Amino acid sequence: MKHHDIMPAGQVGRSVPRLEGRQKVTGRAAYTHNLVLPGMLHAKVFRSTIPHGRILSIDTSAAAAVEGVHRVVTGEDLRAIVAEPYFGPAFHDQPALALDKVRHIGEPVAVVLAEDPYIAAEAARLIVATYEELDAVFDEVEAMTSSAIVHDVLKPAGTFPDLKHLVGKRDTNIALDYQLRRGDVDAAFASADHVYEHEFKSQQVMHTPLEPMVSLAAPDGDGLLIHTASQSPSFVRIEIARLLGWPENRVRVKVPYLGGGFGAKLYIKLEALVAILALMVKRPVKLSLTMEEQFFTITKHACTFRIKSAVSSEGRVTGRRCEVYWNGGAYADIGPRVTQKSGFTAPGPYDIENVSIDSYALYTNRPPAGALRGFGIPQLVWAYESHSDMIARDLGLDPVEFRRKNILREGRPHATGTLMHDAEIEGVLEKIAERMNWSAPFDRGEGHIKRGRGIAIAFKASISPTTSVAIVTIAADGCASLAISTVDMGQASDTAMAQILAEVLGLATEDIKVIHPDTDVTPYDMATLGSRSTFHMGHAVRLAGEHARRQLDELAVSLGYAPGAAYAPRDLFKKKYGMQAGNIVGVGSYIPDYTSPAPKTGLSDNITPFWMIGGTGVEIEIDTQTGAIKVLKLINAADLGLPLNPKIVETQLSGAALMQYGFTLFENMLFDEGQLTNGSLADYKIPGLNDIPPVIENHIVDARQTTGPFGAKGVGESATFGVSPAIANAIHDAVGVRLTELPLTPESIFNALRAAKSQAGKA
Amino acid sequence: MRNFDIVHPSSWAEALGLLSGGDEGTRAFSGGTALMLMMKSGFYAPTRLIHLGALEARCSFIEATADGGLLIGAAATLSSVEASPVVQRSAPVIAQAMKKLANVRVRNVARVGGALAHGDPHMDLPPILAALGGEVLLCGPDGERTCPVESFYTGYLETRLSQGELITGVRLPPQAGWRSAYVKCTTRAADDWPTVGVAVSLRVVSGAIADARIMVGAATERLTRLTSAEAALRLGAPDAATFARAADAAAQEAVTVDSASGSAGYKTELLRVYVRRTLAEALLNGAVQ
Ligand SMILES: Cc1cc2nc3c(=O)[nH]c(=O)nc-3n(C[C@H](O)[C@H](O)[C@H](O)COP(=O)(O)OP(=O)(O)OC[C@H]3O[C@@H](n4cnc5c(N)ncnc54)[C@H](O)[C@@H]3O)c2cc1C
Repeated sequence: MKHHDIMPAGQVGRSVPRLEGRQKVTGRAAYTHNLVLPGMLHAKVFRSTIPHGRILSIDTSAAAAVEGVHRVVTGEDLRAIVAEPYFGPAFHDQPALALDKVRHIGEPVAVVLAEDPYIAAEAARLIVATYEELDAVFDEVEAMTSSAIVHDVLKPAGTFPDLKHLVGKRDTNIALDYQLRRGDVDAAFASADHVYEHEFKSQQVMHTPLEPMVSLAAPDGDGLLIHTASQSPSFVRIEIARLLGWPENRVRVKVPYLGGGFGAKLYIKLEALVAILALMVKRPVKLSLTMEEQFFTITKHACTFRIKSAVSSEGRVTGRRCEVYWNGGAYADIGPRVTQKSGFTAPGPYDIENVSIDSYALYTNRPPAGALRGFGIPQLVWAYESHSDMIARDLGLDPVEFRRKNILREGRPHATGTLMHDAEIEGVLEKIAERMNWSAPFDRGEGHIKRGRGIAIAFKASISPTTSVAIVTIAADGCASLAISTVDMGQASDTAMAQILAEVLGLATEDIKVIHPDTDVTPYDMATLGSRSTFHMGHAVRLAGEHARRQLDELAVSLGYAPGAAYAPRDLFKKKYGMQAGNIVGVGSYIPDYTSPAPKTGLSDNITPFWMIGGTGVEIEIDTQTGAIKVLKLINAADLGLPLNPKIVETQLSGAALMQYGFTLFENMLFDEGQLTNGSLADYKIPGLNDIPPVIENHIVDARQTTGPFGAKGVGESATFGVSPAIANAIHDAVGVRLTELPLTPESIFNALRAAKSQAGKA
Repeated sequence: MRNFDIVHPSSWAEALGLLSGGDEGTRAFSGGTALMLMMKSGFYAPTRLIHLGALEARCSFIEATADGGLLIGAAATLSSVEASPVVQRSAPVIAQAMKKLANVRVRNVARVGGALAHGDPHMDLPPILAALGGEVLLCGPDGERTCPVESFYTGYLETRLSQGELITGVRLPPQAGWRSAYVKCTTRAADDWPTVGVAVSLRVVSGAIADARIMVGAATERLTRLTSAEAALRLGAPDAATFARAADAAAQEAVTVDSASGSAGYKTELLRVYVRRTLAEALLNGAVQ
């Protein structure tokens, strides 16, 4: 492989088996769920049964009277410890337990503490709350103009630099409106040969990590120790310290392996509640959600996207207007960042002179929405890549050819004005076309089984500016430990980070010890999210390794070695201290350059440290009698720079694609007046082994991220991007009907076929 | 979930005795695969469970009857039915359907008694056993009785099991000469509950359909026999035109219901397609010898 020449030690670029694999498959890996502390109480949450209302009363007496119940706590009780118990990364809008108002069905209203979790659950059923019901709003487009206002007061958090400008709009449900203006889009429409306008909808879905959310807080001297299944230990510490008015060092956050995260366990979730409860009762308190309770905790944004394009008769897109409405649910969580970071990529990976984007984060009375693998990108790609095919078909152009005419190429400006570099949009498109054998004749099936194929390509910017810090400790025998707050939630970050350090230090990956997040020990990291760790933490680890290496070299010279001469680190320590003693500590801290978008125009000359490029091609089969769809072939391709570990990259690609596959074909949170009607895995179906397409290919496109650690960048989300529109495009190719709402169920295909037939009958 | 007792009877008489108190909190527990879900969701909170698995030694038989039929004890696990050579010979449709019934972990513990008693219309065994002409064997305070599987279900999770009664097994008449098939379709994940399940049994005599039973599950509120579809088949040639007439009659007749897996209207259309396909498959499957 060609990257070997820049990686002489061969640690990076090698398919090292996951360091934790054996522990996990033999059932020895420890998870927060397994953790029991002496004197620990279990918490069970009592939840709102109405979507929007003022709390009139909460009667906890029957619950408190149950034998074995330690205490029942309401939101008002929390104020004894924290006067304003509101948290959140973008707005401090979410109370640890409802205060004054409830804003969605399933919102935590009170909590029962007991030594036996089953007793806590029994008692929680006995709590009775009364409410004065308020008008509610559920739809993101209606939320723009609704007189039902979810939050009377807006409380911007001001935590993250990229959200500093966030203020929200009082007396509306708009938490953030992001806009971008480039060129003159009206003029482009006025002079266009063709104008196309379509609307696309995505549904609300859930992350469904195998390990549901769980947090445990324990008083610890004059501080607090929090064990939590979190993707962002550093943020949890900062946010808990803020709530308590403490210095950060009184809060210790520990995170073991996670049983999946996908964005569900980001920022702060259950931690504020268990922290306050533990201080209140002076005992450890654990809250373990059930799979079903996760539906009320965090979800993926439902979204409406109106897209309009000006196109020349040769098929060049000259102008594009995007209006995107994000259904953020009752609390902002990180929705405003989704709105902005994804928002500016809404026109797609295309070279378009005139662009206008309006992207709105909206509050509604649904369960909150936040980050989910892809961070808003799949909702956008769903629209713009369906739109691409609709334009191409109308103009009689081949869909691949149409994309070739329009894609953003090296050095060209993106809508924000940032010049594209290290972004193999073309490479991804051509790889898919090649693997699909696009130019060859295609078997279209026979009888009631019709075959079709479709593709979609997309890109994503990294979240910026964010910081990662790493500490490397070399022991006196020459072995190395790596302290980082990156969370290994199944994506194999331990392995990848150990590979980087091993490469720098000339050690074997398997011999590096990765210390799991413990904020007393591991330094700051913004969070494990948005495919940022490989790039950001990867650089920090590289820098820390180089720092340690430099010190070893200096030590060697000071001990009389010739500069550049080979040495074994253990000999240096022995020589210096006269025995096996001492340490060398290397530190690396990394933050990329970034230019904030100008608030009025959304423009920036440096909007992202790197681009993730991904695409998918599918071949499908439709049973026209039932609408049933079978995906026969799923081909994913991505530009992830040079792969640090090709095997792990492949599993990230297939895993991401299959996750989006479920969101495309059947996952759907169904609501009736704000009430979730399929809130269990018996009725909310995720893909199983029998759903997996018979052929899946995952391709690493030939590329190198020149600014990345060892040429690498993130890959955890890239294969989610193209799946939905590729399938919709293939459905159209097979049977000539166009679906614009997810999920693409057999029933919706069947109904579209019927409608097309009766249309044809009339004509 | 509250604390509860679990008792292990050593005979049907003892099990019936434990049930006789009429206490809502006392209930039969066979494999627990359905019951535990109801307990977990708070739908049912028992005080005492009667573990019928304890009767396995005497009540998990699967045997051919003298007349060429089949007798299966209530405590037989679904996997033992699946693996039984007797079943494979005299009612192969059952063994085939098992492969796609839940998963091997569920089949290893779920038992025929529980699979019949639960009464969820999405379940696979009831339509199949009904199409084969099966009878539920019951015992209770007033002695033993039987009830045809096809009329055992009265509503969603409701059956003709009376208070204090237990299912001891199921009996099938001789299958020689019958051609059977069961086809189910899911509209979400492949391992979802079916959206429609159709079971048919046909007897073709001298090129004409002499007899037919057609059962639909999942799409309707309870297991339903489609008699007008059966009538449309009778004496017709076993061909596509006859099957299509039966399918249209089935779609006319069945009262389908809305659910998260599809609208009633869509399920009716699926039923139309699947009655046709299941009949064709039964024909292909050939007659039991
Ligand atoms: C993950 C999963 C997937 C599934 N998928 C399918 C599927 O694809 N197809 C399908 O058909 N089914 C499916 N099932 C359902 C499964 O078939 C039933 O749960 C099972 O058949 C019930 O049998 P059991 O012995 O476990 O009953 P239990 O759970 O023990 O009992 C069920 C009910 O029957 C009563 N009962 C039990 N035995 C008797 C008796 N002898 N007399 C009177 N009452 C009795 C109990 O009191 C209880 O009310 C699935 C279940 C699970 C958990």
